Amino acid sequence: MAAKQSKFLVGALLIVGAVGYLIYTSIQETKVYYFTIDEFLLNRTTLANTDVRVAGRVQAGSIQWDPAALDLTFRLMPIEPGTIPVGALPPGVAVSYQGILPDMFAEGRDVIVEGLYTPDQQLVASTIMTSCPSKYEPEIEG
Amino acid sequence: MTHLGTLALYLASLLAVYAIVTSLWGVRTRRTAWIASGAQAAYAVGGCVVVASIALLHALLTRDFNVEYVASYSSSTLPLHYTVAAFWGGQKGSLLFWALIHCFFSAVVLFQNRTRNQELMPYVTATLMTIALFFLGLLCFITPPFERLSFIPSEGSDLNPLLQNYWMTIHPPALYLGFISASVPFAFALAALATGKLGDVWIRTTRRWALTSWFFLSLGNLLGGRWAYEVLGWGGYWAWDPVENAAIMPWFTATAYLHSVMIQEKKDMLKVWNMTLVILTFVLTIFGTFLTRSGVISSVHSFTQSGLGPYFLAFLAFILLVSIGLLLYRLPDLKSANEFDSLLSREAAFLFNNLILVGLAFATFWGTIFPILSEWVRGVKITVGPPFFNQVNGPLGVLLLFLTGIGPIIAWRRASWSSLRRQFTIPLVVGLVLGGLLFVLGYRNYYAVVIFSLAGFVLAGILAEFSRGTRARQVMLHESPPQALGRLVAKNPRRYGGYIVHIGVVLIFFGVAGALFTIEKQITVSAEQSFAVGRYTLHYTGITEREDAHIAAQIATVRVLVDGQQIDTMHPEKRFYKKQNQPTTEVDIRPTLVEDLYLVLGSYDVPSGLATFQVFINPLVSWIWIGGLILILGTCVIMAPNPAERQAFALARTSADIRGQAVAE
Repeated sequence: MAAKQSKFLVGALLIVGAVGYLIYTSIQETKVYYFTIDEFLLNRTTLANTDVRVAGRVQAGSIQWDPAALDLTFRLMPIEPGTIPVGALPPGVAVSYQGILPDMFAEGRDVIVEGLYTPDQQLVASTIMTSCPSKYEPEIEG
Repeated sequence: MTHLGTLALYLASLLAVYAIVTSLWGVRTRRTAWIASGAQAAYAVGGCVVVASIALLHALLTRDFNVEYVASYSSSTLPLHYTVAAFWGGQKGSLLFWALIHCFFSAVVLFQNRTRNQELMPYVTATLMTIALFFLGLLCFITPPFERLSFIPSEGSDLNPLLQNYWMTIHPPALYLGFISASVPFAFALAALATGKLGDVWIRTTRRWALTSWFFLSLGNLLGGRWAYEVLGWGGYWAWDPVENAAIMPWFTATAYLHSVMIQEKKDMLKVWNMTLVILTFVLTIFGTFLTRSGVISSVHSFTQSGLGPYFLAFLAFILLVSIGLLLYRLPDLKSANEFDSLLSREAAFLFNNLILVGLAFATFWGTIFPILSEWVRGVKITVGPPFFNQVNGPLGVLLLFLTGIGPIIAWRRASWSSLRRQFTIPLVVGLVLGGLLFVLGYRNYYAVVIFSLAGFVLAGILAEFSRGTRARQVMLHESPPQALGRLVAKNPRRYGGYIVHIGVVLIFFGVAGALFTIEKQITVSAEQSFAVGRYTLHYTGITEREDAHIAAQIATVRVLVDGQQIDTMHPEKRFYKKQNQPTTEVDIRPTLVEDLYLVLGSYDVPSGLATFQVFINPLVSWIWIGGLILILGTCVIMAPNPAERQAFALARTSADIRGQAVAE
């Protein structure tokens, strides 16, 4: 009896092991560090050539968009100004993106940028996510 | 009306408390009058929640913008059906909707069992009312849906445009039905643990509920995929977003349960495992609700960041504590009556299927909460996205597909070589020939080749089962083929309905594998320019504008040509919802059985007249929806009334009663 049951144990352990292995290796291969823009700016020197996800605010007046080439550049800024001492850090980070703009993308919006931080201090975005509008408190005119 | 609604919610909470206390007190003191009173109170809770729901609907339909919820989620120009959908379009309303469905299900359960399962029912009532009380408590004290503003806005800020879609009006209710009906098997499982009546009865009583829950979870996930595909406009239907994960995790464990419960019915084994799966499924539904409401994990679907998180966590902890405590307490009584015999048996296939399904649920769970875990443990937030889930769940899914081809047709207990040969020759030959054929035809995407040949393997096995059964009836009972097929299914709807569900699942796999061949292109063109994508030539003619009180739209006209012949005209749109001040993308999809042409108007630059398009060619996507329909059909067959099942159930109940009486005497 015991031998018979141990076959099942081995089979079960194989599956559990496979699941564990898949999870472990896949996390190693696909992980992306998630920072707020403040954390990102603090750690930026160590992050060159790393895949990161950064949450921040699109700086007003910084958007440059070429609809023919689908080229976008803008600056990602801290959401609450004044959290970092003036002069201690660069004011935000330059983001470049190739592709179609998300519907909700606009100046002053909070966005999450995912991409590669290059050694020349640019964030080359692969995706730009805009916060869902239902998260905003609705503006009701009185 | 709204005062009445608020009052009804408070009254419902009090009645729920009363129902819990009297039910449990009635059991303790063995007073049936108390228990009956508890059940009556549970019906009354339902009545109160109905009143509150009518009050909210009334406020929405009369456009009472003084009510904060109405002002936030509707407007005077919102069409009627979306105004009704606004009931579950926002946080507070959806919680009330949840309570409404939960109370409805509770009432149905109480009515179904008004003369049966008398020992289990007090605990069932108490459990269901505890769950109701949690949601009622939130509605009374944390997120009151009838809260009024200090002023009367002239206009509401409208329902989120992304929610103003046909699929969105029916997808959340379907998912809620699935989530909420999972609480019925859970309540019976707890009752079985509490009373020690751990036999077949609670399982057979809740079989239909478990199936119903699974049915709606499947439907909700499919509709959610359909909604994402048509509305979100990124070209796909599934992105492993936390909210999607929240919906698929209980589906995984519920699927595992529906399989492993057969082993308990047949062999009296895996009792602890089945209990665990029922509890886990329910816990995952609450966890899923927590994920969507708390804002702990960023998602495109999150509701307003509200302070609900801690309450859900506390409730989750409470559920886990009670369930695990009871389970441990009864552990000695949950011993298996049998052992596994052979790896070549249906038990083994089901066992491994269960492990993989739970593995899928766990991997999905792990990936979803990884940002939180990594922040706790290492102080850095690390996220994983769709690549992670595809890398883990893809191979597990393929393994599951393989077992789908084995489980239903391999013999119970121990399969002999001759039976294996008889049953697996056809499927194996079909699978291998299909795989070989694809290879010879030049397909070098091995992932796809494996999935397609496995799909052939599984389908061949199922169709062979149908043909064997039909032929046997033709020979023995001299029935015509359609008659034989019909009676075959009618005689054993559970088995053949299950096969039909499997056909649906295989087709879904087939459709999902099509994503391995997706083509995507982004291009900017001016009017009367053409461009090629795949086998299509797209000719952009220009933009027309349309405007009403609700929406302003820019509509592109694109002619679709193949080999110089026009086959269709498509109209992707860019819309601007005025009330919400929000642009949205309306994709146009040209579906065929081979591939969908999926056209997005990315942007339209008015000064230059340049239009940017994003085009996807999505092979085989239609098969996902076809497979979904077949899956739904199969589930309906399984749930069809079944005399054999009723007999077995009656037998189980009488034998349990006799045993119960013997113990009592």
